[in-house]
Amino acid sequence: MSELDRREFAGAVAATNLTAAAAAEDRGAVPMRALGKTGVQVSALGLGGYHLGAAPTKDVAIRIVHEAIGAGINFLDNAWEYHDGKSEEWMGSAIKDRRDKVFLMTKVCTHGRGKDVAMKQLDESLKRLQTDHLDLWQVHEVIYENDPDLHFAQGGVIEALDAAKKSGKVRFVGFTGHKHPDIHLKMLAREYPFDTVQMPLNCFDASFRSFENRVLPLLNKKGIAALGMKSLGGDAQPVLHGVVTAEEALRYAMSLPVAVTISGIDCLEVLHQNLAVARSFRAMSPEEMAALRKRCARHAADGHLELYKSTKKYDGAPGREQHGYPDRETLPM
Amino acid sequence: MVQEKTIPKRPLGRTGEKVSLLGVGGHHIGDLASLDGAAKLVHAAIDAGVNFFDNCWEYWNGRAEAWMGRALKGRRDKVFLMTKVCTHGAGKDTAMSMLEESLRRLQTDHLDLWQAHAMGFDNDPELAYAKGGVLEAFELAKRQGKVRFVGFTGHKNPLVHLDMIRRGYPFDTVQMPLNPFDWHFHSFEKLVLPELAKRGIAALGMKSLGGTADAVKKGIVTAEEMLRYAMSLPVAVTISGMDSLDVLNKNVAIARAFQPLTEKEMAAIRAKCAPTSADGRFEPYKVSLKFDNQVTRLAHGFPIDGQQKEVKEMLAKGNGSWVTGEN
Repeated sequence: MSELDRREFAGAVAATNLTAAAAAEDRGAVPMRALGKTGVQVSALGLGGYHLGAAPTKDVAIRIVHEAIGAGINFLDNAWEYHDGKSEEWMGSAIKDRRDKVFLMTKVCTHGRGKDVAMKQLDESLKRLQTDHLDLWQVHEVIYENDPDLHFAQGGVIEALDAAKKSGKVRFVGFTGHKHPDIHLKMLAREYPFDTVQMPLNCFDASFRSFENRVLPLLNKKGIAALGMKSLGGDAQPVLHGVVTAEEALRYAMSLPVAVTISGIDCLEVLHQNLAVARSFRAMSPEEMAALRKRCARHAADGHLELYKSTKKYDGAPGREQHGYPDRETLPM
Repeated sequence: MVQEKTIPKRPLGRTGEKVSLLGVGGHHIGDLASLDGAAKLVHAAIDAGVNFFDNCWEYWNGRAEAWMGRALKGRRDKVFLMTKVCTHGAGKDTAMSMLEESLRRLQTDHLDLWQAHAMGFDNDPELAYAKGGVLEAFELAKRQGKVRFVGFTGHKNPLVHLDMIRRGYPFDTVQMPLNPFDWHFHSFEKLVLPELAKRGIAALGMKSLGGTADAVKKGIVTAEEMLRYAMSLPVAVTISGMDSLDVLNKNVAIARAFQPLTEKEMAAIRAKCAPTSADGRFEPYKVSLKFDNQVTRLAHGFPIDGQQKEVKEMLAKGNGSWVTGEN
């Protein structure tokens, strides 16, 4: 992508991102998009850290990261709690000689605990990721109804975001969550200057507790970068059941006004498949998107294709512990 | 004098019926060790003045109804008998065949109350009200004299209850979880009870101890406080799952001596629960599949929980015929 294209991109509002993205496709590059108001450009496809830690070996994980970067992916996702640190460690090994080529994000997992816990986790994340700074640090898994109150309480994690920015250890900050748009809206109502907000975005979401309908327009209006995840519904069950194809689902997610769609990739085959979609990306028309939503609505309206919203299945152990919930064995779903 | 007191009865909405403020939950009946144990509990409850009996077509693959039916033989006229229909989106014909099975298992020719079970998923109201849906079975069953009154139940989301009610069908009853933790988290008490009062629909409370009594086990609140709180709400009956004569006797004692809590006392109990209620930790039925029966989950395409006792029994049975109501 030329410098001219980049500048055009940076100046573009969310709605016109798609046109520029379509133009990038001609050269077979992964499209780059503006990350909200940060002035940074990120790849429209991002590499998810959870699945990286689920790769069969460290060598495979490193190959995934290197191939992804080589193919033009610069957005790397992670979290302090993924696989007890393994995801960050493997990613750290993979990027130690190419830190400047990536936009590195990880997440802090206080789940209601205070600033000190957050700052300790930040130092651990930096050490595992073998770097002195993060490009983006997000509050992880804002999914319990009282999380916004806990995070914004005096001495809470939001104060750590401020302190970390001040110390130069992180450049931008945001939050993530997979449970309910109401909880995201509660976080946003505090008017804290988040740079990014991450959420599930896919063709099923529109019919069930919709982040697309309820959170995305607000982010676009405020100029906060939207980061999409779970483009296949979390565990690709809808694809396995033939409701949609993986390509359709990923194209739908990437056609929304988001900066990046973060995709869980645990093997080279999936990386290649997703890269093919990203490189040939052409935004769906509003009519195509509406037709796909309509096709999915019949299956999506009860939430069984989005188990992260409708069950406990995707709620991580540290968060459950802090909120007094039974562990995954006792309360699996 | 307390011993001579009987369990108070309350009007069941606008039906003209009166029911005991304590009801016997059917799920726990089916989970007792034997038919004999179930019969003893049912008989003891009737003798103590309980007349409201709850059940459901899908509990323990029919065992809960079958045992209650055996226990009620010769005592049918002493009870107000309710069971639930489990179409979960399937239509009228499925509902009517379930009704026949329930009547046969319960050894009776009519139900006093028939409720649509477990309205919890966001599209359940739409499916219930669809042409050829379960509400048409309600009309037919009432016309045939097989059921007297109708309602629905659910433990998941008060907004789904409101959707069911506001679509306008004249339900006689609505069942929901009611306890002091509910007040702070997706509250049926705050959102649904006032709507029922406005419409004269009887409210039936359940899960007075939060389903698992975990909050009691952790010492946050006592079982008596929770049960008295639930009974002090504007409900016709509080349905309680009781797995022993000991628990029945304790609950009967509370019911016989029942004096409604004052608003101040209720606020004090809610305050004790407040610090641990805002994330739903003691109301897992609102946030997890754990309390959804397997038929509910299967009908909606949700995965089933292989660790749950009832699911294990189902899988052991293996033929799956009950899923379609063909057994």
